[in-house]
Amino acid sequence: MSVDAASARAPDLVALRRGAEALAARLPGLLVEAERVAATVAQGVHGRRRTGVGETFWQFRVYQPGDDRRDIDWRQSARSRHLFVREQEWEAAQSVWIWCDTSLSMRFRSARDLPSKLERALVLALALAALLVRGGERVALVGSGERPRPGRSGLERLMRSLEPALARRESLPPPADLPRFAQLVLLSDFLEPPEALSARIAPWVAAGVRGCLLAIADPAEELLPWNGRVLFEGPEGEGRALVGNVAAVRTRYAELYRAHREEIERRVVRQNWRITRHRTDSTAETALLALYQLLAPEAVR
Amino acid sequence: MLDLGFLAFTQPWLLGALALLPAIWLLLRVTPPAPRRALFPPLRILLRLERREETPARTPLWLLLLRLALAALLVLATAGPVLQPAPHLPGTGPLLIVLDDGWASAPGWRERIATLESLLDQAEREGRETLLLRTAPDERGVVLERGLAGEFRRGLEGLRPRPWPVDRAAARAALADLEGREVTSVWLADGLARDEDDRTRARALAEALRALGPLLVYADPPERTALLLSLPELAADGFELAAQRATGVGGERRTVRALGPEGEILAAAELVFAEGERRAKLRLALPPDLRNRVARLEIPGAGIGGVVLLDERWRRRSVGIVGAPFGGADQPLLSEVYFLERALAPFAEVRRGALSELVTGDPSMIVLPDIGRLADPDRELLARWVERGGVLLRFAGPRLAAGGDSLLPVPLRAGDRELGGALSWSEPLPLAPFPPESPFAGLVPTRETVVRRQILAEPGPQLSGAVWAQLEDGTPIVTGRRLGQGWLVLVHTTANTAWTNLPLSGLFVEMLRRTLALAPGTGVVRRGLLELDRALAADGALEPPRPDLLPVEAGALAAAVPGPRHPPGLWIPVGADRDETGRTALNLQAGVREPLPLPLHEFASNLRGYGRAREVDLAPWLLLAALLLALVDLVIGWALRGLVPLPRPGAVATAAALLATFPALAQPDPRFAAAYETRFAYFLTGRPDVDRITEAGLRGLGRVLAERTSVEVGDPVPVDPARDDLALFPLVFWVVTPDHRDLSSEALKRIQHFLQTGGMIFVDTRDAAVLLPGQEGGGPGERRLAQLLAGLDLPPLQRVPPDHVLTRSFYLLQDFPGRFTGQPLWVDQVSPLINDGVSSLVIGANDWTAAWAEDEWGRTLFSVVPGGELQREMARRFGVNLVMYALTGNYKTDQVHVPALLERLGQ
Repeated sequence: MSVDAASARAPDLVALRRGAEALAARLPGLLVEAERVAATVAQGVHGRRRTGVGETFWQFRVYQPGDDRRDIDWRQSARSRHLFVREQEWEAAQSVWIWCDTSLSMRFRSARDLPSKLERALVLALALAALLVRGGERVALVGSGERPRPGRSGLERLMRSLEPALARRESLPPPADLPRFAQLVLLSDFLEPPEALSARIAPWVAAGVRGCLLAIADPAEELLPWNGRVLFEGPEGEGRALVGNVAAVRTRYAELYRAHREEIERRVVRQNWRITRHRTDSTAETALLALYQLLAPEAVR
Repeated sequence: MLDLGFLAFTQPWLLGALALLPAIWLLLRVTPPAPRRALFPPLRILLRLERREETPARTPLWLLLLRLALAALLVLATAGPVLQPAPHLPGTGPLLIVLDDGWASAPGWRERIATLESLLDQAEREGRETLLLRTAPDERGVVLERGLAGEFRRGLEGLRPRPWPVDRAAARAALADLEGREVTSVWLADGLARDEDDRTRARALAEALRALGPLLVYADPPERTALLLSLPELAADGFELAAQRATGVGGERRTVRALGPEGEILAAAELVFAEGERRAKLRLALPPDLRNRVARLEIPGAGIGGVVLLDERWRRRSVGIVGAPFGGADQPLLSEVYFLERALAPFAEVRRGALSELVTGDPSMIVLPDIGRLADPDRELLARWVERGGVLLRFAGPRLAAGGDSLLPVPLRAGDRELGGALSWSEPLPLAPFPPESPFAGLVPTRETVVRRQILAEPGPQLSGAVWAQLEDGTPIVTGRRLGQGWLVLVHTTANTAWTNLPLSGLFVEMLRRTLALAPGTGVVRRGLLELDRALAADGALEPPRPDLLPVEAGALAAAVPGPRHPPGLWIPVGADRDETGRTALNLQAGVREPLPLPLHEFASNLRGYGRAREVDLAPWLLLAALLLALVDLVIGWALRGLVPLPRPGAVATAAALLATFPALAQPDPRFAAAYETRFAYFLTGRPDVDRITEAGLRGLGRVLAERTSVEVGDPVPVDPARDDLALFPLVFWVVTPDHRDLSSEALKRIQHFLQTGGMIFVDTRDAAVLLPGQEGGGPGERRLAQLLAGLDLPPLQRVPPDHVLTRSFYLLQDFPGRFTGQPLWVDQVSPLINDGVSSLVIGANDWTAAWAEDEWGRTLFSVVPGGELQREMARRFGVNLVMYALTGNYKTDQVHVPALLERLGQ
């Protein structure tokens, strides 16, 4: 039986790896979906504030004494008798660092019609990035070595840097130097021990980085919907657990699971970071909205 | 071998393995089912669960039972189960099987072979020597065959019943070799004896068998023993049929069919054995034309006992006309011979020649056209022939007027009487109605048929009894007298138009036909060697004969009893063509007249029936069931491990509920069945046979409609006008027989309402069968119709005018033949203001439903006279037109105005 299990496990991993590659190949497609999700949310959040102006240009104003001559827009001024200065948008853009859990556990989905956690996380990461660059922020992927960039190019760079990240299969954000007061967004299932997470984020907390966390879960992880005798296997080689009667342990498991999540949340909130939950059977839009509003006080007015 | 009655095991010791089942039970109970496997990311959390004492999940009880059943099936299958094992054979010596394979075994032959096969199986299992004695002789007589059961088994396929009676005396003699040996006998008996002697011989055979050792007798139940259809006798209007059965147990109905030379069904009727009766009789009425075509009478399914082949003796009668066809006459088309030949040809085989030649040919009737005095040798020859049953028909004329001879029915006055001549005051006289005792009674003379000259009979006391027809003034014109078994008939005028115009009328033909009907079908006595052309097999089919059969002298065949040397069938002269007239039929009935039941229960204490099914080896089926169970178990195992998604219980329940409701939804209310599709109705006449023909006719018409038109009709519906609603039917067929049952006033009211509200009734009185050509209406069916409809307010009827819609509603037709022809079609005259001018009543007499009638294989049930298949086609076309008329009304009348309308529009 054990031999069987070992040989049966290996293809699972291979399948997951292959799945990751397939997922990477789908990234542009995910981007499109992310754009769609982002557009929905953008209208909902600040449709009344942005009236179609460009990224840097804000408005023309009649020249007043004291203005810098270099700001005069000669083309505009030539059309009338007044001199016009070109006002730039107030640029106080923040850089937002995004990290997405790419471990094997993220590639789990309990039902055919649900997305895997990773898929959902990637969609959300890209959608958030799209939303942010539309708002003028700069985005970058934690651990990619890139510096945060604004605009569409920032979004595309982020997407490109996701590809090697998928291959890295990180289950915790890599230790990286982040500028002070940077914004950090972590998307993960946070199934690692809470202590490991605390230890990893402690240097950033000390550096004054503000963090927002989105805990993604599959409904099956919460509800344990199996029955009878089931042999559970961890996707990352954590081992196996044979449960003789799943129904009997369901309540107890639910308690433990809730305790785990609450422990994570307690530790995060203590650092004055923010965390919210998302389940893959609800829509990506709700998650994005929730995430965006976590960021809102700092990033978006 | 373990025998439980209906079930036996050939390897019973293997059943001991069933004792292992409890062990399997325990083993299965303690082995938990394989767990499902699932990937689960929060495994660490799961691992933190306290490890409680884990009792393995039990295999569910139903799964346990399923697996036990599987194991039990395997054990049972290997133990060699046999369902319905053949009963154990007594004794240990050789097995003697006495097989009655004569004609009477044909109807139940398959059961006999099955029984024989199971007996041979047993003998083979027990390793016994086997002896087979077939009691119907072959060329070698009755021979005891010895061999191994396996060899006999291989020969079973070729074993056929023999179409002649069994010879039990010979069978008894064949047992002589076995004297003194211990032999177990099984007699597969047919249960019939030819006569009392045969019964005695059967008893002797049984004694002999019992003397050898134990005897088992297999027999048919009394109600299944073979039937025997007796040779038919000719009646004036068809055949007198009779059938015999061995016992009078229970009532029984069998169909009898008359088949033509090509196997076409000419008539069918039902033979009814009353409870307790061994004989059933039936008169099968057939028009003479059809009767002459009958080649075979059969009771389907009764084997050779239910088949009679008919040859010359029953069929076309031959008529000899004395005189060369155009001999000596300078105007051959006015000669008497020519008139006679033309009149007789439709229903008789006519030969011409000298008297002596004709008499040796032994025809049914000899016609002498105006021959005065016969030479003495000829007269004696003729007298002897008449005394044996011939009919002599003579015609008068100048030569007979000059003096006759003794072969006349009545003495004649010399000379002739002329009516309406130049020197006479009298007028030519028509025929008076025929006296009721005359063979011509029922024929209707017309006023136009007159006699101008005749020969007068000498008045005398015998004269009045001999008169068959007379003129209006009472002088005899046809006289007849018996001579021996035959008849002397004289027509007191000529057979050509010299003295009368009678030969020009249809009446003449009918009179000749009636006269000929008096003659027996004496047929032709053949001489020389005959050979078998077609042999009659025991199942009643005709097949090529055995090649090694020797020809037989004709005289010997006439007296022959069917047997291996003279198999029943159709014999022809050696080297002759296979024309139908030359055939001589040898029927089984020549040897078997009245079968008697054998008292088989006296021969053996318990009789066994053939009905038992053969042994069924259950092992393959049990193995198959085990395999299926194993597959089910495999799928269940997969499902428990999560490899197969099980349908949710809710979905299953929904599907079950849907399935349960489907039949309920699909069941239409039978009362409205007629409304879902176009269906025709027919009134129940009170005579089931007529109703069946009508139904078959409407089905046949429905098939024709479906093939040729866009009308697709459902099955015809029998309705009772007193009870059923007619409103659902566009057209109702009504066959009115002379004995049609009375209609209640309620029924009449409904019919009237139906007609007035646009329904259509087509009435077929079927009178054309009984009316003569030239007669229009007035038949018994029509009279009955008039009685039935007396209380109804109907518009006046008219003959279908040539421009009526019925003549062109689909096909262009001008007359409307059915099974018979010649009768007009009537429709009611309606004003164009009512019901669009569509007639609601169509009345005819040509028996259309019989022309349309088909059986379930599309074969026509009745032949159509006189026009054959062309006439049937016209009858079908009429049916199509009628239906189109009923369904489309005056649509076709409108269509004919279209050119005129277009022309008017153009202006």
